[in-house]
Amino acid sequence: MSEQERRPEDDGQDFASAAWSIPSYLLAGMAIYGGGGWLLDRWLDTSAFFPIGIVLGIVLSVYLVYRKYGR
Amino acid sequence: MSVLAEVSGNVTAIGYGLAAIGPGIGVGIIFGQGVQAIARQPEAYGLIRQNMLLGFVLTEALALLGLVAPFIFQAI
Amino acid sequence: MNALTVLNPQDQFKAPTPDELFNLPPIIPGVDWFTKPVLLALLSAVIVIGFFWAAFASPKIVPRGVQNAAEVGYMFVRDQVARPFLGKDADRWMGLLLSLFFLVFAWNIMGVIPFAQFPVASHIAFPAVLAISIYVLKVYLGVRHQGPIGYFKNMMFPPGLPKPIYILLSPIEFLSNLIIAPFTHAVRLFANMFAGHMLLAFFSMVGFWFLFEHLTPLGAPIGVIGVVMTIIFTAFEMFIQFLQAFLFAMLASMYIGGSLHAEH
Repeated sequence: MSEQERRPEDDGQDFASAAWSIPSYLLAGMAIYGGGGWLLDRWLDTSAFFPIGIVLGIVLSVYLVYRKYGR
Repeated sequence: MSVLAEVSGNVTAIGYGLAAIGPGIGVGIIFGQGVQAIARQPEAYGLIRQNMLLGFVLTEALALLGLVAPFIFQAI
Repeated sequence: MNALTVLNPQDQFKAPTPDELFNLPPIIPGVDWFTKPVLLALLSAVIVIGFFWAAFASPKIVPRGVQNAAEVGYMFVRDQVARPFLGKDADRWMGLLLSLFFLVFAWNIMGVIPFAQFPVASHIAFPAVLAISIYVLKVYLGVRHQGPIGYFKNMMFPPGLPKPIYILLSPIEFLSNLIIAPFTHAVRLFANMFAGHMLLAFFSMVGFWFLFEHLTPLGAPIGVIGVVMTIIFTAFEMFIQFLQAFLFAMLASMYIGGSLHAEH
């Protein structure tokens, strides 16, 4: 679909659903990888994996949102 | 000296309140300026939208980092 | 309770706690489930049904009175909530979306109506039930319109990504769409109503305490500030209550629309 053929309603709808789902993507990324890191910490009796998991989750979520909506 | 006011409860709540100020202002600026830019140049919609969403993601990530920061510092 | 309160219990202003604001006793002693929020929820449902019954029971071609007001509400929900997300399917889903919007709006507006003064949605059970029903509807529609495998494939594997990265990103998509989204759907409404009610209660307590219960020359200006802030925040709360009802219906329409048509 070229830029000219797009109807403005479609764009608005796309944009609204993107903006509303971004916070849940970020939360989900943090929950999955942070939770995994927390479980690893409990298992191995360390304390480093939880922060690493949180940061990894945020990075992956930002990457996902960028690839999905950023172009 | 008598007690005039006191705060009880978890101090991390205050920390998150402070941490949410910056991203709150940032998200406001991003969408405000984005809407203004679209109103000025509707033909650049695709480009503006893309950068708006990217900026929003990065700002929102900071707000959510503030949410989990207490847990991180507890773990370390 | 510290030493100061025991010595001089009249002298200290106590901010209202969530427990005394939201943990209300049953109206009829012995019937534990029948509390004020339940009564207000039932009352709002009756009000909404009665309003639309009065408006559309015998509709006229030239609308008058109640029908006029109800038509403005219907047009608002159709043009702002249903059509942007559902397109040509909008009319099929108007029944659900209209009742959802007006029920949530009636629940919320109970927070500023005198004598009721309790936003029903500030007990999380009420928005949670609505969000769970929307969630069940969303998954059912998705499985029906895109097939059981197609629905999960469209949801978890967005096209256009390099293959190995799917292992890392699919769990995020899954969790975000199926667990976090309905959770934030309910919590957004709940948290706004909860915080708004706390804010109103706090400022009106300040006004009442410093102007009526414990009037002193130094405290009186603070009491005046409390009353003025109560008035300002009541107006602000009414705007927030309308906005949250609109957002709740809008997100419901967005989820339904997303299930009816696969993304892109």
